[in-house]
Amino acid sequence: MKLVVQRFDPFVDAKPRMMEYAVPGRDGMTVLDALLYARDYLDHSMALRFSCRQASCGSCGMKINGRPRLACYTQVAELGGKKVVVQPMDNFAIIKDLVIDLESFFEKHRGVVPYLIRADSQEMEKPSAEYMMKPEELEKVLQFTYCIKCGLCTSSCPTVATDSKFPGPQALAQAYRYIADPRDEGGEKRIELLDDAHGVWRCHFAGSCSFVCPKGVDPALGIQLLKRHVMSGRPPRGGGEGAKVWAASVSAPPRK
Amino acid sequence: MSVGGEKAKNRRGIHGWLNPYHYNAERWAYFFQRVTGVAILLYVLGHLGDTSFFVGGPTGTGPSPSAWAFIGSIFENSFGHLILILVVLVLFFHGVNGVRLILAEFGVILGKPSAIEYPYKPKGLSYGQKVLIYVAIAIAVAAAVWAFLVLFEGLG
Amino acid sequence: MKESRLMLVQYATAVAAVALVSVHLIMQGVIYPYATAISFNNILSVYRNGFYAIFLEALLVVVLVHGFNGVRIILNEFRQTKPWETWVDLGTVLAIVVTVAYGTRTVILAVFGGASG
Repeated sequence: MKLVVQRFDPFVDAKPRMMEYAVPGRDGMTVLDALLYARDYLDHSMALRFSCRQASCGSCGMKINGRPRLACYTQVAELGGKKVVVQPMDNFAIIKDLVIDLESFFEKHRGVVPYLIRADSQEMEKPSAEYMMKPEELEKVLQFTYCIKCGLCTSSCPTVATDSKFPGPQALAQAYRYIADPRDEGGEKRIELLDDAHGVWRCHFAGSCSFVCPKGVDPALGIQLLKRHVMSGRPPRGGGEGAKVWAASVSAPPRK
Repeated sequence: MSVGGEKAKNRRGIHGWLNPYHYNAERWAYFFQRVTGVAILLYVLGHLGDTSFFVGGPTGTGPSPSAWAFIGSIFENSFGHLILILVVLVLFFHGVNGVRLILAEFGVILGKPSAIEYPYKPKGLSYGQKVLIYVAIAIAVAAAVWAFLVLFEGLG
Repeated sequence: MKESRLMLVQYATAVAAVALVSVHLIMQGVIYPYATAISFNNILSVYRNGFYAIFLEALLVVVLVHGFNGVRIILNEFRQTKPWETWVDLGTVLAIVVTVAYGTRTVILAVFGGASG
């Protein structure tokens, strides 16, 4: 099996180059297995990121045969078994080889204030009881909580390719996850943050985010459902009282 | 600044818009919606120009049969008609796909969130809205055939 | 103007454009045979029946607002510096005003202009 890997050290190389490695195939081999074989036996200088090896941590997101995938979750056999081309995920700055800089990604996630906001800041900091949620209310947000922040969706998004201010599908889906959560009372403020020229409206439903998501989060669905609320300016059921404590309790950096 | 600084930024840029390969049908529809939109706007600007010859062009003062005949001599030929058929094709795709986008962006034709199980079939890419892409292509082709019959075969 | 309002305008003009363009094409190829539809005398008579001139003016505004707003969206995604965004927004308004004005001139001269050449 031929493994072709993009190698690039920005402090040494003027541009990326593709290196080929002959990796012995075996049944059930994943792309991560192939990369680790190449790194361990053929080229120790290759840099890549991985951790759990079971599609839970989201560390090994890479562009594999032209599309963002998790290396641990992609079998060599499903790509034809003969040649696998691995490059770093698009739209993230390259640190070295397959390792990319996710800081802007996490910053955009922080920008949608991804935690519950309550109107009563004292109660929010020191709750006296559990916040209750009916099963049918949970079902409305559950799939969006499965996000592992792997970045595949953001890498595949055509808007992220050019618009550096666009939050990206991951942040927008998480914004919907909190706006639609019945326990959250900061919906109005989140909606206000997203209603600008580089907010939710720069999503044009290309759907590639849902296409590549390995956990079934379906960010495209979340974003289209979010648009209704941004259009009306109101979260699903009231939930705007939290805006009053927004400034005091939220220390999220402003979106640039 | 690093040696490979610009390349290190790794933004797809405009290729990200224009490269739907390896992706889903909705991504292809996004690509064609953008391209057809720009094409239609360019045609509309040209159309504003050529229809103004009905009143004598940019310097005219009122209905002018001679100016209209002049612009007709330029555009009313086989090549002009082929362009019109192409315009009808892209127009109908853009319109029907646009309606699909409006319905989808208000969540009308998408599924509802649920407690999902593996293997994941994203409801955002539901069959209902995907079918409308193919309906848009079919309607566009049918409209282009109709335009051909009207312009070349004198139908109507 | 909030982006959600601009998008509402985009959607509203989209739906209106689908309806108005369909009528326009029906006029050009179904109500009248094409050759008749684009003849000088036929166009003069439909312009001067009052209703069609108003219809064409509405079509003009709807299509141009939708089109130039779409281009504004594309250009705003392309680059995100403040000067670029300011010029794109101004350019969009200017483009709409200029093209609607030119098209309206055609309509007004067709309805009210004296015959020439």
